[in-house]
Amino acid sequence: MDELTEQPGLHCPRCQVPLRTGAKFCSACGAPADPAAIDTERRQTARDGARFALHWIGIQRIIFLFGLLLLSTLVLGMIGRDDTTPWSEVVMSVIDAVIVFAFAASRYWQILPLLGPPQADMREAIRLLALALAFIALMAGYFALIEKAGIPIIRVSSSFEAAGWGIGLMILIDAIMPAIVEELAFRGIIQTELEQITGMREALLIQAALFSVLHLLPMMFPSHFIMGLCFGYLRQRTKSLYPGMLLHASWNTLAICQEVYWT
Amino acid sequence: MEIRWDLDDNTVIDLRVGGFRKNRLTINENEIPVDLTLRGKNGYSFQLPDGRAATISVEPQFATRPLVELRIDGNLIAPTGKKPTLCAGCGTAVKPNDKFCSACGHEMPPAEHYVHKRYVKEATGAITLLAVLFAISGPLMYYLTQLQSQPLMEKLAGMDPDDTYPEKIGGDIYTVSSLKAQLEWEPWSALIVNLILAAIMAGLALWGRRAPLPAVLIAAATYAVVIVLNAIIEPMSLAQGILMKVLIIVFLVRGIKAALALRAANG
Repeated sequence: MDELTEQPGLHCPRCQVPLRTGAKFCSACGAPADPAAIDTERRQTARDGARFALHWIGIQRIIFLFGLLLLSTLVLGMIGRDDTTPWSEVVMSVIDAVIVFAFAASRYWQILPLLGPPQADMREAIRLLALALAFIALMAGYFALIEKAGIPIIRVSSSFEAAGWGIGLMILIDAIMPAIVEELAFRGIIQTELEQITGMREALLIQAALFSVLHLLPMMFPSHFIMGLCFGYLRQRTKSLYPGMLLHASWNTLAICQEVYWT
Repeated sequence: MEIRWDLDDNTVIDLRVGGFRKNRLTINENEIPVDLTLRGKNGYSFQLPDGRAATISVEPQFATRPLVELRIDGNLIAPTGKKPTLCAGCGTAVKPNDKFCSACGHEMPPAEHYVHKRYVKEATGAITLLAVLFAISGPLMYYLTQLQSQPLMEKLAGMDPDDTYPEKIGGDIYTVSSLKAQLEWEPWSALIVNLILAAIMAGLALWGRRAPLPAVLIAAATYAVVIVLNAIIEPMSLAQGILMKVLIIVFLVRGIKAALALRAANG
């Protein structure tokens, strides 16, 4: 009986109906009877706001980096790929590298942990190696298919050949440098930033999509999306950027050698 | 804009802010004397007739409707929408702030639920807009490219297919037949690329209902890349429809912010 009597002077903080003796919740609306709980709700609203602000800053950094890289591609595209000298390409990739290194340096504490040696035991290492080989086979198959379909692929080697630059320089500028810069940008800065906002799996997907569209070749969107997933996965498993860089550089080198020697 | 909150059977709050008529806040048609402005984020506190403390916060947004929130004793109150709120259990129209459905007793979601739904709609709305635009511009580009190449096609029709075309195009020499093939292919490639983009955006919009943030981020990046690709092929295209582009980018940024707000609220 006692429990069903109203307690004088106490009202539900939400709907103002009188509360019963000893009630923890309002019997009319289900709100917690303790006014402090309402306070908690308010605090939570404030916390949501702070979290939103933090995440928005992170997204802005990603938009800024992506926008700068896109802008440099636009500038290179507008001044035109010169077929007689690779200098415009060299200058733009140096600018890209400067942008990415400046970004990485501005938040070095996020990137530093990724610059340690890869962490993987023997089993894991073999598994990832198998993944890398499967990846190279898949990409080779896709590109062979595209070539067979008669869709032209931009030849990067023509300007180098016209200027008389050797294959060593070509591999350095078109294979190794982009591998380092792109891994640092997408698997380093963007994926790390996204992981704090969205969680691992969505971060992996988003960075792979950003990586694939930034190459500006509609035919390469699917292949580069898979590339992005593969490199991102390597970085997640080994907690290091080096395996991804190695695989990326080897694939690029393979593509260049294919272009120079086998066609 | 005007917003109405049906608090309970005998309390209705109306807010009118922005637009050409005077800003005002009323409870059951009685005006509350507060100084409503759209300059910066503002909070207004007042008392309901039954003594409960209410606050309305008004936060202006860039190029879109301001963000308005009503809280009573710290609890978010869902505004009354244009469409009636339906019970998820039996489909009967209920009041937006009912705790339970009066027809079947089904428990109604809290006001936050409706706010989240609006966020998701905002985020996916931008992507849907892009899908529709690409779907429209596909056939349009097809006809425009065909129209553009028509004079040249007519000229080529009278020439021997094995001849080389007398002028260089883009620095390259074409034979008449290869130039013809190129011109026939161009409208189709414009159509196909636009339709593929429309399909990608439609897919992202669908996925966006479950994962708004990745979907809207990928859509925004893809759109930016499409603009840049077009600008590389034809620099003048950067200026074409610039208002539309700015509007779409505003929508996309709004979508990203809505998706972030949703994620922050869901923790």
